[in-house]
Amino acid sequence: MARKPPTPPIWAYVVAAGLIYFAYTIHDVLVPFILSFALAYLLNPVINYFEVRGFRREQIVLAMYLVVTVIVTLSANLLIPAVTGEIRLLKEKIPVYFTSLEKAAGALQHHVAMRMPIGQEYLDQMSFKLYDPITKQLPKLPTYVLGLFPLFSMLFLVPFITFFILMDSKNVLQNIIQVCPSRYVEQALHVVSEIDTALGNYIRGILIIAGIIAMASYVGLKFLAVDYALAVAALSGIASFIPYFGALLGMVVGAVVAFFQYYDYAVPLQVIVLFLLIRLADEALVQPVVARRSVHLHPMLFLGSMMVGGKLFGFIGLLFAVPSACVIKALIGVAWDWYISEAQIGPPNSVEGAHIPFT
Amino acid sequence: MLKRLRLFFSDNRFAKRRAFLRSLSFCKGLSNRELGYLLQSFHSRTYNEGEVLFAEEDIGRALFVVETGKIELTKTGHGGKVQQIATLEPGMFFGEMALLEQMPRSASAVAAQTSKVLLLYRSKLDSILHYHPRIGVSIMTHLAKLLSARLRKTSYDLTRALSKN
Repeated sequence: MARKPPTPPIWAYVVAAGLIYFAYTIHDVLVPFILSFALAYLLNPVINYFEVRGFRREQIVLAMYLVVTVIVTLSANLLIPAVTGEIRLLKEKIPVYFTSLEKAAGALQHHVAMRMPIGQEYLDQMSFKLYDPITKQLPKLPTYVLGLFPLFSMLFLVPFITFFILMDSKNVLQNIIQVCPSRYVEQALHVVSEIDTALGNYIRGILIIAGIIAMASYVGLKFLAVDYALAVAALSGIASFIPYFGALLGMVVGAVVAFFQYYDYAVPLQVIVLFLLIRLADEALVQPVVARRSVHLHPMLFLGSMMVGGKLFGFIGLLFAVPSACVIKALIGVAWDWYISEAQIGPPNSVEGAHIPFT
Repeated sequence: MLKRLRLFFSDNRFAKRRAFLRSLSFCKGLSNRELGYLLQSFHSRTYNEGEVLFAEEDIGRALFVVETGKIELTKTGHGGKVQQIATLEPGMFFGEMALLEQMPRSASAVAAQTSKVLLLYRSKLDSILHYHPRIGVSIMTHLAKLLSARLRKTSYDLTRALSKN
């Protein structure tokens, strides 16, 4: 017989709505915390690996930070020359790029003027319209560069916050369970478990995919002898946090760089093919293995979540749209599961052969 | 030197709880590492005296293991009279049917004194079955044996009651 499922009190909805609004108003401040949570999710399996073998969590985290510091210091010796080399190259080539861009624009202007019956005055107006935004934006360049500093501060802030999350996350969860009213502990565990599964699998999956795309891009671009391989690969890897976006951005930026480097269409075309192959390999080989445990989102839901995330929170919204949608889907699943089990409206729980007497 | 390092890194509280798990009937034969995985799947909570763990007819979703203290199981009989049906001591577990199906609990559980209880949630068991099948099989085999033993007892009791009538 169906029974009336218990409904949460009205204050629970008010508190939930208040928390969501509060999170929305301070979302800029939340970014390093969200990134830290993502990093903690990635590192947690490593800590668990040692924890099940009887090692203390605090010591494992400390040892891991020590090891990572050593690795970062050692790899910095390799990375810094590569990065400074690319910056030096960019500095040297920027005037060349501008000159060739100017030449190309001039040639295009001339080409159009020869073939279209419009006056030179109109073409000059068009060129002014074309160059005006660029000339207006150029003085603001230092401001944009300074705007990147908060991003660099994240490099220190995120590992710092992650350290405390890794140290205390178990105690926090334990305290949540302890303060939860005793009769709702099972439900609380259900919610925690579903969110943990949905988020953990997604974040670990996307980080692995981003790493693979960045590495494949770097190797491919180096093979094609395209300049700024490291920068383009890093850009492609970071952009991969927005699903499907990494290879696309890598393709566009890589092709543009290749065009200005070689002034022909063959190498840019090869870059486009390279990124198409990376995208295909990601879809056919990496995704089935890495993302098979992630929550499956319908393409419409996927697109909708990206649009809503982008509209509400900009670029950061795009990054976190899909994991948020995964959590919301998991929560709806939990709510539905509760509803059908509490109201007992699901299919009858009959086991085949239950009528046969016990022997 | 290595011994000191090992001592520095080892978690005594974890080792104690692992030893506790080893004493449970459904954990017999599991290795240290498997017990470690199982322990990670458990959540613990302390219940004060008189606190209700779950009430009769609540939908069950977890298995409970008494680590310290005492838990009383009660059932409402005819005419609404509450009867105590069992007192559970450390090392005993209850609510195991919730791991098999989401059905209303057949009894209520109340802490008779301040008690520490370990909880194994259904989805955690699913995860164990998937990633550590040896542990999952050990738990499920024990549950199956337990069900079989209870069914035998119920059949025996029913036969006796029928023969008396």
